[in-house]
Amino acid sequence: MSKNYRKYWPIFVLPTMAAFALGFVIPFLYGIFLSFCKFTTVTDWKWIGFQNYSRILFVNGKLDTTFLHSIWYTCIFTIITVIIINVVSFAIALALTKGIKGTNLFRTSFFLPNLIGGIVLSYVWLMIFNSVLSRYSMTIVSSEWSAFIGLVIVVSWQQIGYMMIIYIAGLQNIPGDLLEAARIDGANSRQLLRSIIIPMLRPTITVCTFLTLTNGFKLFDQNLALTGGKPGGMSELLALNIYNTMYGKTGWQGVGQAKAVIFFIMVAIIALIQNKLTTRKEVER
Amino acid sequence: MKKNVLAVVMSTAMAAALLAGCGGSASSSSASSSSAAGSETAAVSEAASAGSGSGSVYMLNFKPETDGQWQDLAAAYTKKTGVPVTVVTAASGTYDTTLTSEMSKSEAPTIFNIGNSAAAQTWDDYTMDLKDSALYKHLTDKSLVVDYNGKTAAVANCYECYGIIYNKTILQAYCDKYKDAVIKSPEDIKDLDTLEKVAADINSHVDAINKACGTELTEAFASAGLDDGSSWRFSGHLANLPLYYEFKDDGCDLLAGEATIKGKYLDNYKKVWDMYVKDSAADPGTLDSGSYNAESELGMGEAVFYQNGDWEFSGLTDSANGYTVKAADLDMMPIYFGVDDANEGLCIGTENYWAVNSKASKENIDASLAFLEWVITSDEGRDSITNKMGLSAPFDTFTDKYASANPFKQTAAKMMNEGKTSIAWSFNATPNVDDWRKGVVSALTDYTKGTGKWDAVKTAFVTGWSDQWKLAHEK
Repeated sequence: MSKNYRKYWPIFVLPTMAAFALGFVIPFLYGIFLSFCKFTTVTDWKWIGFQNYSRILFVNGKLDTTFLHSIWYTCIFTIITVIIINVVSFAIALALTKGIKGTNLFRTSFFLPNLIGGIVLSYVWLMIFNSVLSRYSMTIVSSEWSAFIGLVIVVSWQQIGYMMIIYIAGLQNIPGDLLEAARIDGANSRQLLRSIIIPMLRPTITVCTFLTLTNGFKLFDQNLALTGGKPGGMSELLALNIYNTMYGKTGWQGVGQAKAVIFFIMVAIIALIQNKLTTRKEVER
Repeated sequence: MKKNVLAVVMSTAMAAALLAGCGGSASSSSASSSSAAGSETAAVSEAASAGSGSGSVYMLNFKPETDGQWQDLAAAYTKKTGVPVTVVTAASGTYDTTLTSEMSKSEAPTIFNIGNSAAAQTWDDYTMDLKDSALYKHLTDKSLVVDYNGKTAAVANCYECYGIIYNKTILQAYCDKYKDAVIKSPEDIKDLDTLEKVAADINSHVDAINKACGTELTEAFASAGLDDGSSWRFSGHLANLPLYYEFKDDGCDLLAGEATIKGKYLDNYKKVWDMYVKDSAADPGTLDSGSYNAESELGMGEAVFYQNGDWEFSGLTDSANGYTVKAADLDMMPIYFGVDDANEGLCIGTENYWAVNSKASKENIDASLAFLEWVITSDEGRDSITNKMGLSAPFDTFTDKYASANPFKQTAAKMMNEGKTSIAWSFNATPNVDDWRKGVVSALTDYTKGTGKWDAVKTAFVTGWSDQWKLAHEK
């Protein structure tokens, strides 16, 4: 069998590799190259070195803090959503692995929000928020912090069901005899949680943290539809900020591309660090 | 044996799923089957035209509402002359992004839309001088072009007007039946002061007016929404007036504008804006929520005045929308600004200019110019534009039965005949228009909610303009 693998693996791997190269690797490398150019269309470029990168911060000779604001706004947003989504979905997963009546119904209904696309979801929530807030003569985009709370609510509501499913799968993989043995030894449920369940769930926690972290940084659909960056661009997360830079100003496509390269480097470093930290603590089976 | 059959079925399904994704262009937004067929034939005709020597036409259309009619025109022209014509329409709000990606392809558009001077600057390397074309020769108003870099970069293909749409039936009833009316007839509204008086009076006495006239008014002015779907009326259309009058005073090109502005007429802008907010039933604190539908407020007879343009006519009179207002109830008055009200007409201009791709091959350029000339001179072309698309084209070939049927346009024509000055669309000169408007709308929203001052609006308007101008004109 392994003889066949050695002879025929290129045929099976090649189509996927070609698609991956064409759809991801080549545009990615080309994008890095274009971040050093001034361009209108991707085939019509002019090399200008690091000028795009300096324009991210210095505009018309003054310091422009909009990108920095997007960065820390996104960081706070990601930290809060990672915590909320993981804690709540873990709690729900725990509750729904105890074999209570209607478990399947609960699991299905908690997962359903994840099936609604980001844009439609945000528009519906926009209507809900604005209707409720109209009583206080406010709208969801009255300030950057009301927009922040709105975004956290929408994204958490959508993602909790998805992470819950992953946690349930992880929980179900914990050998039952381990838990039984611990209970016989007299462990109460809190000790069970801290000493057995969470350590055994490390791989799942790694996966979920990674997913929520990258989702938080990359968030675009909900940002665009719920707040559109209002008020005055203060509630723009990174992806929307880059998108608006690319298409909002004349001749700033290069700067948008440069911001995208920085964005990639940031998220890659953070995700790798997070991965290293959580994988180290995983328990070998 | 069964395993083999299963393997064959699976591979066929996989191949079919793979190939279903191919074919047809990605940017057509029309749901009609004719356009789906159109984009299929586009792929075929593009391949065919690569080999033919008589040139081909590829138009990237700007108006989604006219896609079906353009597909029909393209098919008719190809049938008549054998020249392949492809029309692709970008989805609403995606024209720039679609044009950017289409232009980098080997089969780039030969005819595309230029909206204003900024677009002419972006695409300067791709626009050819249309001064000697048949299109330019047929233009009735030679100012309806975009000039840039010493050439006529684009020629208008339709023009539109906007002002304050008002329900003249209700206004007439107000004058005749309400005994405390401040004017004797709707024609008395000829300047901003009178309009302010009338709006304030109507808004504060809605109940008495309803009783006297049998109307169902809730306000004088329809809501001035500051959400994305409506804010352009105030950060663009209304902002046009202070810009126009300042450009006129400074003597610069009314459509190209200037690098810095002083905001001379922003006090008038404030007067009009305060009137819009005060004399309306909408809660100022929630104007940016997007939950107000100003068109429906006028359509259901709840409001008397509604600032918008002639394109609203079809929506307001479409029976599918269920509005109570009729075509005979509607008319349009200028946005009186308190500067030169006696001579002010409606705001006339466009964002629809045809440009021809200078980087296309000579045969394609000639074919494209011939196609456009056919559109504005032939019966099928003129019939499609005036009657089917409902547009007003500014060419001397559009006379008699091809003249505009839109009553707002007829009002515009009447005012032009009376010698009133039409206000040009100076807001087309706005540098980095999305960013500038974002700043102005944000400041305007804060001012309207009471959390900000009018000075912030002035700063966003004036300083924002010069900042964005510098950014847009960097080399």
